[in-house]
Amino acid sequence: MKAKARSHGTFQQTLAPLLFLAPNLLIFTLFIVVPALQGIRMSLFKWSLLDGKTFVGFRNFALAFRDPMFWQTLGNTFVYVLAVVPLVLVLSLALALPLSKEGGGAGFFRSVYYMPAMLSLIIVGIAWRWILGFDLGIVNYALKSVGLGPVPWLIKGSMAMTSLVVVTVWTRVGYFMMMFIGGLQAIPSTFYEAARIDGAGRFDIFRRITLPLLRPIVLVVAVLATIEAFKAYELIYVMTQGGPGSSTKLLVQYIYQSAFEEDRLGYASAMSVILLVIIGIFTVIQFAAQRGNYENE
Amino acid sequence: MARKGRLALAALVILALALPFAAAAQAKTTLTVLWFNDANESDVFQKTMADYLTAHPNVAIDMQVIPFKDYENKLKLMIASGSPPDIARLASAHVPLFTSSLEPLSGKPVFDQLAKGYFASSLALGRDSNGRLMAMPTEATANGMIVNKTYFQNAGIDVDKLSQTWTWDQWTDAMKKVLKANPKAKYGIAVDYTTHRFSTFLYEAGGRFIAADGKSMGFDTPETLDALNFFKKLHDEGLAPPSVWMGSENPQELFQAGLVASHVGGSWLINAYSQSVKDFEWAAVRMPKRKINSSVPGGKFIGTFKDSPHKEAALDLIAAFSDKAHNEAYCRDTYNLSARKDAKIAYASRSKDFAVFTADLDATPAYTADDWKSPILAKLNSYIREQIVDGLLGQQTMATTAANVQAKGNSYFAQ
Repeated sequence: MKAKARSHGTFQQTLAPLLFLAPNLLIFTLFIVVPALQGIRMSLFKWSLLDGKTFVGFRNFALAFRDPMFWQTLGNTFVYVLAVVPLVLVLSLALALPLSKEGGGAGFFRSVYYMPAMLSLIIVGIAWRWILGFDLGIVNYALKSVGLGPVPWLIKGSMAMTSLVVVTVWTRVGYFMMMFIGGLQAIPSTFYEAARIDGAGRFDIFRRITLPLLRPIVLVVAVLATIEAFKAYELIYVMTQGGPGSSTKLLVQYIYQSAFEEDRLGYASAMSVILLVIIGIFTVIQFAAQRGNYENE
Repeated sequence: MARKGRLALAALVILALALPFAAAAQAKTTLTVLWFNDANESDVFQKTMADYLTAHPNVAIDMQVIPFKDYENKLKLMIASGSPPDIARLASAHVPLFTSSLEPLSGKPVFDQLAKGYFASSLALGRDSNGRLMAMPTEATANGMIVNKTYFQNAGIDVDKLSQTWTWDQWTDAMKKVLKANPKAKYGIAVDYTTHRFSTFLYEAGGRFIAADGKSMGFDTPETLDALNFFKKLHDEGLAPPSVWMGSENPQELFQAGLVASHVGGSWLINAYSQSVKDFEWAAVRMPKRKINSSVPGGKFIGTFKDSPHKEAALDLIAAFSDKAHNEAYCRDTYNLSARKDAKIAYASRSKDFAVFTADLDATPAYTADDWKSPILAKLNSYIREQIVDGLLGQQTMATTAANVQAKGNSYFAQ
């Protein structure tokens, strides 16, 4: 009888959760794991949609490391990621801090800041292209009406990259703000009350209570924002098509071009594998940094 | 009784065996037609072929319209998965990409006969490297120039007369006067942000992308350098807007807004501008001459595939669509140039503008079609555009642009 009860318990504790996970696991395996493994396999072939495939080992990787466009787009990607991720982190937290408290129109402002996250990136891109256009853009029209010259928002390399970073941050900051608000509201108010009684100032409270308790959320936001930024494509393609020239072309766009315009699926897969490794390294570093912080406390 | 029973059983067996054949005889052949639209072509295609479908009640069309930007990948994936459509509309750049999968039309008497009625340059784009016709032209396109006639009138220039024989130097002089007389006009010329449109300048300078033997690139030449430097000069002198090639602004919108006085684009602009431009008078004019006069031949095609499930029915429909009456009706209603030599089309309006584009096409050397049916050029398209912009931005010389394109193209030839 006792053994039977233990067996029942084992089923509940092991098999039942697995059964609940099964649909998700199946979808994850079919649509993420299998294509990823197929991508790794393809990276070892010279693979054309129309002309078939030939095994070439690691030659696609060697080609990538010798390809100036690969290095340029990888460099552009790093610039974009290193600009977008810190800005998104800081600004979304800065918005979340006052808006985590109820009242004072917090609900209204949360909706306003979150709204861009609900829009399709294609629509956001088209709208911003109209806003920042050199000859027909709204901003330059307004500048002209007050006697100022047009600004080359999207037609000078560094200016175009800056515009893309600003628009990306505008689009994503509301989404991550909501995650921070969730994290801030989960911090018990007794911690703050005790700190105030002890005479702590606003900055000390933020540094010694809010930030340490928000670290898990900071990690999630940093990881998600980093992965998103590395994979950015639609917004950039709509706003600049990677231009002027290739000055805002990121690695994902080059992967797309290589695969579908140049019909070099093997080469594109090799670059995708390299991108996967880079994202993996960044994620591991972020987790390690977070773990280090916990251990130091 | 037993004999009757055996007879009844035999009758039943015969009936059971015959039924599927009878059903098949009655079944409709539904042709899957993959299409992309520039404007209303899918509707016009179906309207044009309505009489054919009435005469062939066992044939039906399942029209699948795909946005152009997704079209090539969709078709590639359908072919790669072994289920190509029965009929596909193809842009000229698609023909070389899908040559290995298309069903050859050459050698089939009906198509050999039909081909005799078409312009050789249009057919050239539908042929493979062995000269076999792989797809029938449905309409012809050409690159050409459209000008804001009102601006020229304001500057006291008779553009109709001047453009009959003008050179780029004469165009530049005239344009400076036009810009002076029309403060609203900021620029002289907008050129669509595509390698295809740039190639008009390349051919006029006497250059080409692929060498005459078709076995290597022929881009890194003094003629190419002349075209590239002239294109840069247009931008450096402020005659061309930076926002098209270095930004992402639409040249059509710039022309419609009256910000540019001329637009180098495709013949489809006649249709677009006749609907959208109401504030000023415009007209198609001959391309100014550099070393030679040239346009760029293009067009759309229709073909079937080796693995298409209803290949014979598809070939029959394509042949019917390519005859004089159907082709004229289709080109008239889609507002396109015809690729048939014998076409006599009365368009609803702007027939004179169509004639100007056709005249540019007539002057175009045949080798331009060889460039545009090369799969190497299709793969180089984006790269060439980016390299030209790097030159326009001054990040590299135009000589480097020519050398880079030459090297990248030759790396494909080496493969």
